[in-house]
Amino acid sequence: MTTTFDRLCTILKKDYKAQPGQLTLDTPLESLGIDSLGTVELLWNIEDAFRIKLPSEPVDLSTLGDVVRYVDDLVVAQTVAHTPASNDDTALRAG
Amino acid sequence: MKRVAVSGIGVVSPLGNSTEQVWAHARAGRSSVRRLEIPFANRLTAPIAATARFDEGAGIDPAQARMLDRFSLLALLAANQAVQGAHGALANVDRERAGIFVGTGMGGTLSMDGGYQTLYGERSDRIKPFTVLMGMHNAAAAWIGIEHGLRGPNMTYSTACSSSTVAIGEAWMRVACGQLDVAIAGGSEAPLSPGSLKAWEALHTVATMDAQDPTASCRPFSKNRSGMVLGEGAAMLVIEPWDRALARGADIRGEILGYGQFNDASHITRPSVEGQAAAMNAALRVAGIDRQQVDAINAHGTGTQANDRTETAAIRAVFAERADRIPISATKAIHGHLLGAAGALECVLSLLALQHRVALPTMHLQQPDPDCDLDYVAAMAREGMAAQVMLSNSFAFGGTNAVLVLGRAN
Repeated sequence: MTTTFDRLCTILKKDYKAQPGQLTLDTPLESLGIDSLGTVELLWNIEDAFRIKLPSEPVDLSTLGDVVRYVDDLVVAQTVAHTPASNDDTALRAG
Repeated sequence: MKRVAVSGIGVVSPLGNSTEQVWAHARAGRSSVRRLEIPFANRLTAPIAATARFDEGAGIDPAQARMLDRFSLLALLAANQAVQGAHGALANVDRERAGIFVGTGMGGTLSMDGGYQTLYGERSDRIKPFTVLMGMHNAAAAWIGIEHGLRGPNMTYSTACSSSTVAIGEAWMRVACGQLDVAIAGGSEAPLSPGSLKAWEALHTVATMDAQDPTASCRPFSKNRSGMVLGEGAAMLVIEPWDRALARGADIRGEILGYGQFNDASHITRPSVEGQAAAMNAALRVAGIDRQQVDAINAHGTGTQANDRTETAAIRAVFAERADRIPISATKAIHGHLLGAAGALECVLSLLALQHRVALPTMHLQQPDPDCDLDYVAAMAREGMAAQVMLSNSFAFGGTNAVLVLGRAN
């Protein structure tokens, strides 16, 4: 099964010309030429690839591992939010 | 006032990506106007333009390239080329006495247009995060400053079609008066976005396409002229005090003798004889050059009915009967109208014309116009021009008329 890290690496290799050997969970984003401004764009790309909606608040991410955890948390939160059983309206109607 | 030398030239343009290429094309009168090959072309009445063809990744860090609108990329490549050619102009310079002066009419219009396409065309809210940074007019100058670590004035001028003549002129003033030791000055334009192309079309100033020969669609000073053809590109100069360049053993490409401006203050588009003549006179006065000393002119020569008729009358008003004996080149016929970068490219062509002692041809001048009755060097370059001083004219929508006085490197 393709992990979040794998999918992140695919984006970094394709759009940021990153070399596979550079990419571990501990790799700093800065080492890939992605500073805080670059992170804004990376997250914009991720939003599309993972079909998630990023919060508007700024977030401090230093390594690829930070990005993976951030994305995983959002995927879980937004998947749960869109699951019918957990939807308050649905629950009320069911009741 | 100090003498000011041009010690480096960089060009990325429809005529080529080096002074050698640009010169060869211009001297031969080879037009770079082409049928425009973009998906949007079928929605244009006249799908023609002069595009710059270059290696878009050359020497640019990929992370940086992601943030560059095409006009910034063109500017940066031209500036890097100019700095390289200036052989050490930036080495050992006091960085606070080194400035950047860039002209652009439309800035990052391609990036802004892309954003609007997303928002209105695709009905999506997913605007790219760098759109503001790529669209802003001062982005090109900012990137040049970052690349070369220059900490003096970082200025962007947007006066439509005279933008880069103004930029070079303002840089000249700062160097001439001793405020700066070196400046990178020029212009950049990448206006070939769908929105921009349609907007220019809507204004009814663009040429109809020559059905037999699209490359001959822009015909300055010809009776059958029908308008301008849009072009893209950048041209940058390194300028510095003459003595500084000389002491370094720089390859001095020419001299900027002066610069003048005159604001029409009358109509948003209509050119005026008074305004254009006043700008030429102002430039000569500032340069301390008598009109008898002007040997040749690179005309604004857009190929519109209004400009070419007006510019002819303005040159006549300044030079009287001597106007008939001054070779006048309208090079937009072959490189198109680079809007905010036009003045910089034409300044470069003028410097090269002086250096090579050649009056560049005005191409596609097919039918004499009684209202345009000067010597436009029609169809073929004139070799052996004994010119020491040239004017480079730039006149603009909005009324900012600007003229550079240029000298041969002696």
